Order: sequence, then C-alpha cells, then structure tokens
Amino acid sequence: MFYAQLFVNGLFQGLVIGLAALSITLVFGIARFPNAATGDSMTLGAYAALAAHKASGSFIVAGLGAAGATGIVLLLAYWSVFRKLANRSVVALLVASIGIAFVLRAALGVAFGHGQQVFQVPLSRPYLFGGLRILPLDLQMALVALVTLIAVFGLLYLTAIGRQMRAVADNRDLARVSGIRPGRVMIALWLLAGAVAGIAGMMLGMKTIVTPEFGWEMLLPAFTAAILGGIGSPVGAVVAGLILGAMQEVSTPFVGFTYKIAIAFLIMLAVLLVRPRGLFGRVEGVR
Amino acid sequence: MEAYLVAIGIIALIYVLLSLGLTLQYGLTGLINFGHVGFFAIGAYTSALLVLNGAPFIVGFAGAALLAGVAAWPIGLVSLRLRDDYFAIVTLGFSEVVRIVLTSERWLTKGVQGIPGIPRLYSGLGGAAGQLATFATILAVTVVAAWMILRIARSPFGRIIEAIRDNEEAVQALGKDPPRFKIQVLVVGAALAGIAGAFYAHYITYIVPEQYIPLVTFYVWMAIIMGGVGRVSGAVIGSVILMVFLEGSRFIRDIVPGISEVDMASVRIGLVGLLLILFIIYRPQGLMGDYTKR
Repeated sequence: MFYAQLFVNGLFQGLVIGLAALSITLVFGIARFPNAATGDSMTLGAYAALAAHKASGSFIVAGLGAAGATGIVLLLAYWSVFRKLANRSVVALLVASIGIAFVLRAALGVAFGHGQQVFQVPLSRPYLFGGLRILPLDLQMALVALVTLIAVFGLLYLTAIGRQMRAVADNRDLARVSGIRPGRVMIALWLLAGAVAGIAGMMLGMKTIVTPEFGWEMLLPAFTAAILGGIGSPVGAVVAGLILGAMQEVSTPFVGFTYKIAIAFLIMLAVLLVRPRGLFGRVEGVR
Repeated sequence: MEAYLVAIGIIALIYVLLSLGLTLQYGLTGLINFGHVGFFAIGAYTSALLVLNGAPFIVGFAGAALLAGVAAWPIGLVSLRLRDDYFAIVTLGFSEVVRIVLTSERWLTKGVQGIPGIPRLYSGLGGAAGQLATFATILAVTVVAAWMILRIARSPFGRIIEAIRDNEEAVQALGKDPPRFKIQVLVVGAALAGIAGAFYAHYITYIVPEQYIPLVTFYVWMAIIMGGVGRVSGAVIGSVILMVFLEGSRFIRDIVPGISEVDMASVRIGLVGLLLILFIIYRPQGLMGDYTKR
C-alpha cells in the first residue's frame, strides 16, 4: 500500500515532468534543438501565475496568465534570438537557449526577489480511494494538465496550423516547397511551447515553493522524459513523464529524497546507451 | 591593493586552468562539455579532504587530478557515442549529480554546511608572502599546462583531434579510433579542472556544494567564447576579461547604491546570459566552424 501511494503521488508529479517534456519535444521536433530555457520558462510561468492569482484570486486566471506570459516571452526570444540562428548549428542554439535561461532567471530574481513564495491554496482533506489518499488539489491539477494536453493535441491534430507544424517537423524542406510558411509555424510553436511550459511551472509551483531557481532543477527530469519518450513524440513525452515521476517516487525510500534528479540522470544515460541517438534513432518530428 | 591584485590574479589563473581544459576539449576536439564544474568540484573536495586528513599538499593535488580524470573516463565512455547535443545535456547532468552527491553525502562532505578550515598553501610563510608564493605556484602550473596544450595541439595527436572536430567520419575512415582520442582529451581536461579545484579549495579555505553550480561552467564557456575558441591565448585573454567582469560588477555596487548582494548575483547571471547570446549571434567565429589557427 505504501508503494502504491508513492506510485500514485509519482504519477501526479509525473504530470508536471510530462508537460515540461512536451514543451521540450515540441521545440526539438520543429525547431530542432534542445531548449535549455524550458526550466526557467517554467519559473516564469509560476511567477506569472502567482501574480495573476494574487490579482484575481482565481486559479483559472492564474493558469491563463502563466500560459500567456510564458508563451509571449518565448515568442519574443524566438524573434530576437533563435530566428537569427536558424541556419546555424544545434550547439549555437543550445548555447543561446542557456543564455535566455540565465536572462530569464536574472529578470525574475530582480523583479520578484529571492525569497520563497507559495500559492495560497486552501487546505483540504484528502479523498480516500480504498486506502489511497489523494489530495483534491492533485486531482484539480491533473484536470488542468488534462485540459492542457487536450488543447495541445487538438491544436496539433485538428487545426490547419497544427498540420503545418507536424509537416515542418516531418520534413522542413518538403513543407516549404508545399507552400507552408515556416515563420507562421514558428510563431505558433513558440506560443504553444511557452504556454505548456508556463502551465507546467504553475503546477510545480503549486506543489512546492517558488524560487527563481526552481524551474532549472526540473530541466534534467524533463530532458530525460523527452528522450525516454522518443524525441519529437508528444504522446511519448507525456507518458515518459508519468513513468519517470512514478519511478522517482517509488525509489525514494531506497535512495533518499535528494537523489531524485540523479535517478532521472541515470535513466537518461541508460536510455541513451541503448539508443545513442534517442529512442527513435533520428529526429522524426511531431507525429 | 597589492594583496587585492594578487588575490584576483590567483582566481584569474584558476579560471585560466579551467579554460585551458575546455579549450582542449571543445576548442580543439569539439566536445561540448557542459559539466566542467563537476570535475572542478571533485578536485576541490578530493584535495581538501586528503589534506585535512593529514596528506601532504602534493598528494592532495595529485589525488584531485587523478580522481577528476578518473571521473571523466566513464562519462566519456558512455556519452561519446551520443550526438553533440545529447553529450552536452549528459555532461550538464553529470555536474548536477556531482553537486547532489556533495550535498547528500554528509558523512564525507558535511553537506550544505561545507568544509571549513582547509589548509592554505605556504601558510608557514605568513599572509602576504604566502599569497605571493601561491600565486607563483599556480602561475607556474598554468604555464606548464598552457605549454602542454600547445605541444598537444602541434603534435600528431593534435592533428587527429582537430580532424575529429572537423570531420569525425573522415577520421574514422582513415582507420583511427575517434572515441579513444576523445576519452583521452576528456580525461586530461578534467584532470586540469581537478587541479584548478584543488588550488581553489586551498586558496578559499572553505568549500560548499553551492560553489559548484552550472553557472561556473558557463563562466568558463563565456571566457573561451570571448577569448576565441581553440586558442591557448584565447583562454588566457578570455579569463582575464571574465575576471574584470566578475570583479567589476562588485564595483558597480559601490557606485550604484541600493543594489543588494542577491540582486547583484541576479545581475551577474543575466549579464552572462546576455553575453553568451550576443557572442553566439554576432561573434560566432570563435564558436562555430571557422576555428582560427593558433
């Protein structure tokens, strides 16, 4: 029962990792580089949500604030930085994304200070499901994650811009000669990847305490899930996030709380050892 | 004032040592090591613990180089098969895991409290003279390291690693074994970082895991990108600019009142980020492709 409880808790944690991994995998599939600014984008989302929540008292407004602010900031990052590096090596983009991550963290540190901030979440009694204790907050957040996922997959698979995004992910040159304008696709990509990261950040912030560094700490688990799920596969990213979250929680009694990130790292190494180019051998894009 | 300059000189030389390792790994061989600070940390803790337990300094320093080098070996082994960007993420992850281990294994490292009272080099000579002797020692080590890397670069080994950087498949087609060379380069660069760590521990005399955050790695990256990637002189000049940047931001606080220590830390991180972005966009020669000759 103890382990079942940990497993379930892990699944809820995994939702956050899965959303962060989804943001990474979208960027990797379409813009073709590992976006190291994902973690600090989550931090931005958390602070935006805090501000929106304080102003409105509504968690829905907070979520919209997180998604909107993070999406817009990443779009600005694309316009001012990533677009200029479009024809350069992956490493140039990776280094630039680390630069963006640092700038974001610095701006948040100056703007909101380095103290710990928390969401004012009402205390509530956990539900009991045959001995499993589940917090209402966890269920609400699972709902938020689910709505986010439905929105993302709906956009990717049901709309014209989503089809274009998948086409660019699949074969950029072919997409271009088919008359798809990459600029529009990139705008949609960065808004979407930012919104997803922002919501992941808000969820992480509601479960823990918000500091200017806390999103960065999620970067390794998120990359691990993105790689584990097969880079460029949105469904894989989310599933891998859930698996990783559960594995981290269940292993905690054995290795201790602090080694969570080390576990993510070891899993990443193990996956990459078996498939050195990622699970799917090459970047196959969003499918 | 002189003491201050010598102190800055020592720290600058520590960064030169770190930059030289990265110059060998990235500048010459093209290995994107985002985990340099991990080897720096291993060196610092190894030497500090050895010397605190009664070992002579030379054993501490040798242990630092050895353990940092040995730590690089499995990392190299597992990650050399990876694509560039995965290699970068794996090395970044490695350095974070080192920091977690340093934080968690309190029996060895005293966790977040850190290890105080690490003996200084030449403490018998007294303050100013001891500091000067420390400076002379690290200068000598740095000169030897720089000379070694120049020698490596001009040797047949150097031609192979540069060929690996430029076209790994071609090197493989010639019957050479790129992974073997890459691992050697990783181990040597890590050992240099380990020595830098030992100097740091015995100079600062107090180490905590918090000193070994990824930002330090990116300070070194900033130094070699600014100085010119793949050049020994670039590592030196870049480290000097970095030092001016780090120390200069301290004076900003004196000129502009009301900036707190934590705000200054944020401003520094932001400036590092901004410089990385600007150099990548506007001065890419150092970083991408067009490696200038020594």
